[in-house]
Amino acid sequence: MSVKINLDFTLNGRPVTIEVPAEMTVLNLLRDGLDLKGTKYACGEGECGACTIEVDGRTINSCLMMAADLQGRAVMTIEGMQEGHALHPMQQAFVDHGAVQCGFCMPGMIIQANYLVKQNPQLTREEMKRGLEGNICRCTGYTKVLDAVAAVVGLNENKGLEHG
Amino acid sequence: MSEIERYIAPKKLDDALEALAGGPVTIVAGATDLTPQITGGKLSYKATLMNIQHIEGLNAVTKKGGTKKDGKIRIGALVTVSEIRGNHMLKNHAGILCQAADHFASEQIRNAATIGGNICNASPAGDMIIPFLALGASAELARWQDGSIETRSVPLDEFFTGPGRNMARDDELLTAVTFDVPPENSIGLFRKSGPRPALEISTVSMGISGELTEGTLKNVRVAFGAVGPTALRGKLTEAALEGKILNQEVIQAAALAARKDVSPIDDIRATKWYRTHLIGVFTEELLNNVCQN
Amino acid sequence: MAENVAFKHIEKTSMIGKRIKKPDAPAKAIGKTRYINDMVLPQMLYGKILHAGRPHAEIISIDTSEAEKLAGVHLVITAKDTPDLKLGFVKDNAPLKSKVLCERDEVAAVAAISEAIAAAAIKLIKVSYKDLPGVFSAEEGLKADAPQIQENFPGNKSLKFEFKHGDLAEAEAGSDIILDHVFNVHYVTHCCMGTSCAIADFDHNGKLTIYSQTQYPYNYKMDLAPALGIDPGDIRVIQPTTGGSFGAKLDVYPYEPVAAILARKTGRPVKVLFDREEEFINSPTRQPAAIHLRTGCTSDGILTFRSADVLMDNGAYTSWGPTVPVIMMRTVSGHYRVPVIDFKAQAVYSNNAYAGSFRGYGNVQMTYATAQHMDMFAEELSEKYGMDPIEFHLKNAQKSGEVTPQKSYLRECVLAECLTTAAEASDYVNKHKSYTEARAQEGRYKRGIGLASSIHNAGGAKIHKSDGCGTILKMDDYARVTVITGASEIGQGIDAVISQIVSEELGVPPEHVTLVNNDSDIGPWDVGVHASRTTFIAGNGAKRAAIKAKEQILAAASKQANVTAEELDLRGGYVVQDKDGAAVIRLDRMLRQMHFQPTPDVVMVSDYYEPNSELEGKDHISDHSAAYSHAVHIAEVMVDTLTGEVKVEKVTMAQDVGRVINQMGLEAQMEGGLAFGLGFALSEEMIFEEGRLLNPNFRDYKVPTAPEMPEIEMHFIESDCEEGPYGAKGIAELPTIVVAPAIANAVYNATGIRFLNPPMNPEKVARAIWEKKQADS
Repeated sequence: MSVKINLDFTLNGRPVTIEVPAEMTVLNLLRDGLDLKGTKYACGEGECGACTIEVDGRTINSCLMMAADLQGRAVMTIEGMQEGHALHPMQQAFVDHGAVQCGFCMPGMIIQANYLVKQNPQLTREEMKRGLEGNICRCTGYTKVLDAVAAVVGLNENKGLEHG
Repeated sequence: MSEIERYIAPKKLDDALEALAGGPVTIVAGATDLTPQITGGKLSYKATLMNIQHIEGLNAVTKKGGTKKDGKIRIGALVTVSEIRGNHMLKNHAGILCQAADHFASEQIRNAATIGGNICNASPAGDMIIPFLALGASAELARWQDGSIETRSVPLDEFFTGPGRNMARDDELLTAVTFDVPPENSIGLFRKSGPRPALEISTVSMGISGELTEGTLKNVRVAFGAVGPTALRGKLTEAALEGKILNQEVIQAAALAARKDVSPIDDIRATKWYRTHLIGVFTEELLNNVCQN
Repeated sequence: MAENVAFKHIEKTSMIGKRIKKPDAPAKAIGKTRYINDMVLPQMLYGKILHAGRPHAEIISIDTSEAEKLAGVHLVITAKDTPDLKLGFVKDNAPLKSKVLCERDEVAAVAAISEAIAAAAIKLIKVSYKDLPGVFSAEEGLKADAPQIQENFPGNKSLKFEFKHGDLAEAEAGSDIILDHVFNVHYVTHCCMGTSCAIADFDHNGKLTIYSQTQYPYNYKMDLAPALGIDPGDIRVIQPTTGGSFGAKLDVYPYEPVAAILARKTGRPVKVLFDREEEFINSPTRQPAAIHLRTGCTSDGILTFRSADVLMDNGAYTSWGPTVPVIMMRTVSGHYRVPVIDFKAQAVYSNNAYAGSFRGYGNVQMTYATAQHMDMFAEELSEKYGMDPIEFHLKNAQKSGEVTPQKSYLRECVLAECLTTAAEASDYVNKHKSYTEARAQEGRYKRGIGLASSIHNAGGAKIHKSDGCGTILKMDDYARVTVITGASEIGQGIDAVISQIVSEELGVPPEHVTLVNNDSDIGPWDVGVHASRTTFIAGNGAKRAAIKAKEQILAAASKQANVTAEELDLRGGYVVQDKDGAAVIRLDRMLRQMHFQPTPDVVMVSDYYEPNSELEGKDHISDHSAAYSHAVHIAEVMVDTLTGEVKVEKVTMAQDVGRVINQMGLEAQMEGGLAFGLGFALSEEMIFEEGRLLNPNFRDYKVPTAPEMPEIEMHFIESDCEEGPYGAKGIAELPTIVVAPAIANAVYNATGIRFLNPPMNPEKVARAIWEKKQADS
């Protein structure tokens, strides 16, 4: 067995201390070590985005990142998006706009969509497509996904008007 | 997959270089290239795994001096592709880098992948290598020698020795990529094949840079990706353009030269014919874009 | 009646056609849903299969001793441990192989305490092979000196199909134009995002519980049993949430009995889960085919005959792939009115990958050919005789009540409306003309517009003795409804449709309907989720069960209210007067009153719906679906004539949906179906070299991503199908079927080049344009 490393990091706002083998990926740590199975394996090569999570405010493919590299970082997974019982507005938009079919790619897709809107609250549809190019979905043809993100962007615009 | 006996994540470059000097080390930064190579069995871990992400001073993009001869841009090895894509100074002075970054993999990969990693991985199709070659950039290599850091600078067009191979010695770490600040009248354009904007391994890619004065191109550098064992400079194309007034005749000659510059292979992504054809098409297209702008 | 409901009036409203949210979407969106891939059972072991990785070889010896010694390994098995176990409907396949016939062949399997140990153990198994010369195409397989692949199939001949109707020679003689082309349709695969997985667990009575992604849980038992040597009755199939299916799980594949054999021998639950590379290599493909199509037409634009000779590479084993001619021939004989038909298909064993079912089921392949022939006729008739292209299509479009040569009875047929709607909405005729003119002009980028249409079964397809579906419906004391249906949910949204239908009939909110449909020990029989059948068949079943429940409640209520049952209705959680909506009693109170009386009257009803269709017979003359539907797609493309890149900018679709049930789910199926067709047309291709897959990854097998999706304009034509629930027809395959030839026709419009062999990837398109230029100059 490879050497083990003691890690301290923040996961969905809570501190985690855990020992991991040096070669473990973040995806395996989340799914097998921490039993957070919302983050999905679908290719293991960074080609499909099903394992997308946010680390220090940037999205990455957790199948590629080494768990050891989480030391001192802040992680958000799909399980950390909602507040209490209420779905996060992005999650709700995906539900409301019919963007979820088999749903397997959705945790990664939703994390990525949320990141895109945080980066640019006035995202255009073309920018959404570019921003989601690393997330493969086999069910939806992406159209309803884009509708959902557009609705959240619209929501932000409306909020902006209210406050402005 | 062999066993990792030691994991280190040094904060100081000294410590990292000392570790490198001390024996076989697998270097990891963004891990976007390393992990698939490990899981695919193409690579195995050495006894020490060194995470260089925490080394101070390797994650900055800096510009010293102006656009005259003295100016230098230095991009630390840990700068990510996303950071290049969004960097305003680079957009102003070396836009070709931002163009290539925009066509690199996906947002998630861009957020993790580092410049140092993309260069050291030495893929013939490495998308960030092309603009750096076109900019005439050099790799800054550091090693631990007699209790202090010794650095050397290797021009990138000499750095790559084969697919996945480069000139860095086992005890050397790529710390930065540097290049002269391109003069005010510089042009720089990147082109990559494929119907997808980014998530696509280049069938071919291409970059061109130079100085444009009254329709004449000078100090032209042309780089091609995925058309040989390494990314390469297009010397014949450069010669066909250097000092010439850009007109259709020159552009046609350059496109012809470009086809001669490259020696692509047939593989599952494309045939030699298509790669050569695209190189001609892209050369024409980019030069026409230069004319139009 | 004690309750004060006198002033409450509830108007009659309908759920049908509304946008209904998928009931399971919230849990999926928050990452809480447990997919089969996520499951861990107590004491569970991890199974891993050693695949041959070579196409054709004798197995000289297998040494498993090192693997067995590895700490954490419980068991290693080979074909020696599974003699006489067969699978596949011609029983030409086995869980583990004693001879290698294709790259994926399962040679040995391991059960260990972790995935990593199982993977390590696989690498320790030493197999000595003697490679044999292989057969790598159907043509090679038919040669007299070809190696024999399957012992029981001499000459490598697998399934064969034939259908003839009318006098071909006479029809040919009466044709002014005859088109004759060979279309080579390539290998593609499903790429479900959740990779293949099975978890098997035996109890102490020898009963197997298998957690499976199967799309057909009931017949699955029948198919799995002989691969294990057990009685089908000793199998319980549980279908946890699955990450996509699209036809990939419509058969038993070797990893499933392998998991079960490992489980039986270890006495532990065993999970087999593929990684992505295994998924690519070991999943079924779409059936590739060489389609030699000949079609005749008069100068008046009337189709005279179609003759199709289809050669299919069967691969090493027979799954559902080579049965697709059953649907192909319906297209040949039913895609427009064609009086004379001559259809043949032959599948030939080879050492290549083998095909299963895949969304569109043969029709993707055949429509790629027939719809291009229709476009070629339209072009030629327009050039020679000035015929309007839409007029040509309309002349040959069937109308309601027509019967095809195979006796498909087109009860409600709106192909003409689909054609005119799509053509008008997209300004097809004008654009087509102007792009044709622009073709000869200079310019790197060329636009094109292309029209394609097709027909598909839309009321199931009776290829089994029953095409039915069972439904059990119960209501509790609080007016909550549980529907136990045989229909499977694989992401397509039958959960939303059934809750909507039950809500419509029983006047309860859709969220008060619970669906139970993932356990074969609970659910009644259903033939499976395939053939665009589930909304039609299971929807009808749910509707009929709900009506029975409603009748029971209204009968009870009528006694109390002293009115006839016909004068009552269920709306908004109340029993109401039908005429004015005046509330009579709250529904939950009514149910409790029915329940708690000396002779309890509890609502527990059941239904078995068998569609009004005829079994597909050997002669292929039967009305095998309870409904048929048409779709027309018009694709608009931009072609970069130098790089060969084809960008689909817009697709206008008009489809006969019978009646819209769940508008949102319908749109979602259209969009997703279209994406499959888009990938098939432009970018997806499994590249094989002597039976080995060279691109088992998403880098080089290119499924569409978000930036490649076109704008989609949808027109739903409501033909009001008499047999379908509320008039609905099945819908989910046509969007995949029709878009690819529409793109091909658009690329022709842009470039003047026909692409008979998909995919139209950049290199192929660039090369063809370059060669044409060389030839022209």
